[in-house]
Order: sequence, then structure tokens, then C-alpha cells
Amino acid sequence: MEALALSLVKSFPALSVAPLWAVSLLLMVAAGVVVLVFALTFEGVGSLVLRKVAGDIQARIGPNRVGPNGILQFLADGVKLVLKEDIIPAKADRLLFKLAPYFVFVGSFAAFVVVPFGVGLSPADLNIGVYYVMAITSLVVVGVMLAGWASNNKWALLGGMRAAAQIVSYEIPVGMALIPAVLIAGSLSLQDIVKSQGGLLGIFGWNLFHNPFTFFSFLLYFTAAQAETNQTPFDLPEAESELVSGYNVEYSGIRFGLFFLAEFGDMFIVAALATACFLGGWHVPFLNAAVLPPVWGNLLSLGVFLTKAFAMVLIMMWVRWTLPRLRVDQLMRMSWKYMVPLTFVNLLGVSLWLLVFRGKGIPQMIASLFG
Amino acid sequence: MGLMAYLNDILEAVVTTAKGMRITARYGVDPKEEVTLQYPEERWEIPERSRGFLFNDIKTCTSCTMCVKACPVDCISLESVRGADKKMVLVSYDINIGRCMYCGLCVEVCPPKSLKHTGGYEMASVQRGELILHFVQEDAAEIKARVARQVAEAAAKAAEAAKAAEAAKSAEGAPEPPKPATKPAEPPPPGEKPAAPAPEKKE
Repeated sequence: MEALALSLVKSFPALSVAPLWAVSLLLMVAAGVVVLVFALTFEGVGSLVLRKVAGDIQARIGPNRVGPNGILQFLADGVKLVLKEDIIPAKADRLLFKLAPYFVFVGSFAAFVVVPFGVGLSPADLNIGVYYVMAITSLVVVGVMLAGWASNNKWALLGGMRAAAQIVSYEIPVGMALIPAVLIAGSLSLQDIVKSQGGLLGIFGWNLFHNPFTFFSFLLYFTAAQAETNQTPFDLPEAESELVSGYNVEYSGIRFGLFFLAEFGDMFIVAALATACFLGGWHVPFLNAAVLPPVWGNLLSLGVFLTKAFAMVLIMMWVRWTLPRLRVDQLMRMSWKYMVPLTFVNLLGVSLWLLVFRGKGIPQMIASLFG
Repeated sequence: MGLMAYLNDILEAVVTTAKGMRITARYGVDPKEEVTLQYPEERWEIPERSRGFLFNDIKTCTSCTMCVKACPVDCISLESVRGADKKMVLVSYDINIGRCMYCGLCVEVCPPKSLKHTGGYEMASVQRGELILHFVQEDAAEIKARVARQVAEAAAKAAEAAKAAEAAKSAEGAPEPPKPATKPAEPPPPGEKPAAPAPEKKE
């Protein structure tokens, strides 16, 4: 940010009257607002698309009354959520009850900070990007547990406990499945990971095709990440049929809205991480976006990144409306008996591959055969 | 659990998931699979013999009370008086459609086939009283009074005719049978409109 502020001051000498820290602070706020607006828009439109996809898959039509073909439904939903009465149960722990949605929302939204949207479009390119995402999304556990506990409701508490067990269990396979991408790039920064996947027609450089193990680790990551973010086949914390609505059962109005938004934010984070770590991130196929003029390169790479990420979100919705919910013991067994060992084996496989073939992937080897 | 069983579990999970995903993908992509009917705008075409609301054509109804007796839930109430021509005149014919269970027994027993099921099925109301269908629109007391008047008139006419016949007989001495039915006080067409409370809405 400070580098950007410096270049800004250089190109606009009028800004030099303000101290540098003020300019960079302003830039940070601006970046935050832009990302927040993007996240909220995505969450709104995402909820509409989710319902439309649900309708299609279940041989229904879906929302089609508000606006042409129902495209304004999410505005109606949002207005309804904001206008609803904000009820706090009499026996609830008021402070924790009020605090919990913010934890969940911050945990979900803070992960947007490191998402590499384009060549130079990253709100903050942390050198520990992957680690940061893993750490900050764990804040959601705290929020969910708080919500479950503070509601003073048995269903909410059960949901909160389940969420804690599930998120903690699945964090291991998620981390283990992401490490292959880190190993190949040799960096934890998401921008570096994306950069390491360039070249080779822009498609075959993807980590997905690097070697068989990375392909499997993509599948493992995608599965485990859906479980970690409580997406539907693994949505035990809010299992409607058994826990009414889980940890957020006592919430209403805008506080419930925050939980809702966080869920969609998580969805995008999972899709964005999968895109950045395995699907080539913002690399435009058949083009090198990094050498284009900055504006076009950024716009093009942003478009490509969002296309890939939204495609992943669509696949998540598709999974969501297909698979039935797992039982608690099945969920735990899947994590500890299947996902964890498989991701470890996978990680071992990738490490050995990188060691034996000196970091070259299959497409690279084929390319080197033809010169 | 052996290694092969372990790997088989994983394979089975992948295969069954893929199978399910393929099915939902087909439903998601094919718009012809949509079965939703946008109800108030479009409706199902109801079958010809479906049992909707009951409708009694009171012009042909003979007040035989067969339907009242057949009804298992006693939702039909009927009141009638004997008219001047010895036929029954319907005073009121009400069906509590909120209680009706659409068994169709009343329709089956109806001798003049005046009671029928219609295709109607939409009748929401905020009060239970509104669910009672009145097929005789005129006031029951009015009908009764009118019929009583007609009966009285007919009786008076008959008595007059009898007297006249008697007089003629005594005058002519010819035994002629009295003709009381020459001028039967026909149940006057009182301009009763057939009640049509069953809304036969189609489109």
C-alpha cells in the first residue's frame, strides 16, 4: 500500500502536502470499501443465483416475481432482513449474543483481503497469504460457538458445538490440500502462487495439471473446504431438519443477515482459493496478462479470475442441491479416516514428485520434449 | 477394515456422488423438466368427472330429500312445503361446503339428477358462514307465505267450483263429476333465479 501511495504522490504532486501515512491510510480504506462492496454484491447476487439454481435442479422455477424474471429478489430479501425486528432472547447472554455475528462476518470478510483478483489487484499481497486465510477463517469458529452458547437454546448450542468440531476437524485436510500449491510456488503468498502457474498456453501451467497428486489435492481441497465452511452436504451446524436452524436459530434481522452474508462470503473464499491455488488464478489463457498495459491487463485478469471463481461457486451450488446431509459420525469419520490420511499421502506424493523431477510438472516435461 | 475395503469406500463415494450430480445436472440444464404451474395465472385442467363444489339446479329439484339422507356428514339442509298442486316447493336448500367431504353420495342418489358436482374448487373466506351455499335465493318466509296463499286460493277455487258443480248438478240433475283440476293453481313462476353460488371459474 505504501508503494502505491508513493507512486500516487509522485504522479499527483498536490497530494504531497498530506503526510504519506494519511495517503496510504486513505488508500487502505478505499480498497476496503471496494472489496466490501464487491463482497456484498456477490453475496446478494449469489443468494439469487443460489435460489435459481435450486429451482432449476429441483424442477421448479425459483424466484420470478420481483423485477423481470425475479432478478431484484435479493434486494427484496435484503430490505426485509434489515427491516426485521432485532430480537435478543430474554435469557441470552446479551454481550456475547451481540458480538457473535461480527466475529463470523469479520472472519469471513477478512479473508477477502488477500484474494488475488488480478495482476496487480490484490487488496493486500501478504507474504503469508495462505496461512493468513487459514488463520482468519478460524475466527468463524469462535463466532459460531459464541452464537450457539449465547443464545441459551439447546439447538443453537448443539449447532455451535457441531460447527466447532467440524471446522476444527476439516481445517487439517484443507491446509494439507493447499500445501502442494505452496510447495510448487515456494511461497505462501497467493500472488506468488498464481504467478507460478503461468506459461504453457495459460491452461497447462495450472497446478491442477502439474501432476496427478495435485489433481487429487484439488479435489480433496474442494471437498474439505466445503465441509469447513458448512456448505450443504456438510451443513450439520445448521441442519434445518434436526436443529431447526442451528447456531443462528435465535437471531433475526440484520444480525441474522450477517451470518447469512458470512456464509456466502465463505463460499466465494473457497472458490477464490481453489482458483488461485489450482486453477491458474488470474492467468488469461493464451495471453500473458502481466505484460499487457496495466489497465487492460488488470481488467482482463480480473474478468478471468472472477469467471473461474464464479464457475467454482456454481459447482458448489450444484453440489449443494444434489447431496444429502451427512450424519455427525459420518462427517467425523470422513475427516479423520479418509480426508486426513489421503491429504497426507497426497502431500507426500507431491513432495516426492517435486524432489524426483526437480519441480517440473507433466505439461512442462512434455513441452520440453518438443523444445 | 482392509486396505481394499478402504479404497472401495472411497471409490464408491466418488462414483455415487458423480451419479447424483449427473442427475441433478440434467434437471438443472433441461428447462422442460420444470413442473411448476404459476397457479393464479395458469391452472391445471381439471378432469371431467372431478368432484368440486356441489350445485343444485332448483328448477328440476323435487325436494325428495334423498341427498339429505345420503349425506354422511349432514352438510345438506333442505326445507320444503307442499304446494297447491300437491308438488313440493323448495323453501331453502343449503349446503355447508365447509363440512362437505366430496364423497359424491348425494349426487349418486339424486333421482332427477339436479344435484351435480361442478369443477369449482376455489372458495376462500374469512368466516365459516360464508362457506354455506344457498341455492334458493328468495327468503324462506316469503316463499312459505306465497305458497300458503296459493294453496288457500286453490282451495277456495276448488270449493267454488265444487259449489258451482253442485248447483249445476242440482239444476240439471245430470251427474257430472266435479273438475277441481281445471284450473290448478300452478306454482307461479316467481322469477326465482337459480342460485349459482358455485363459481365455475375457468381461466
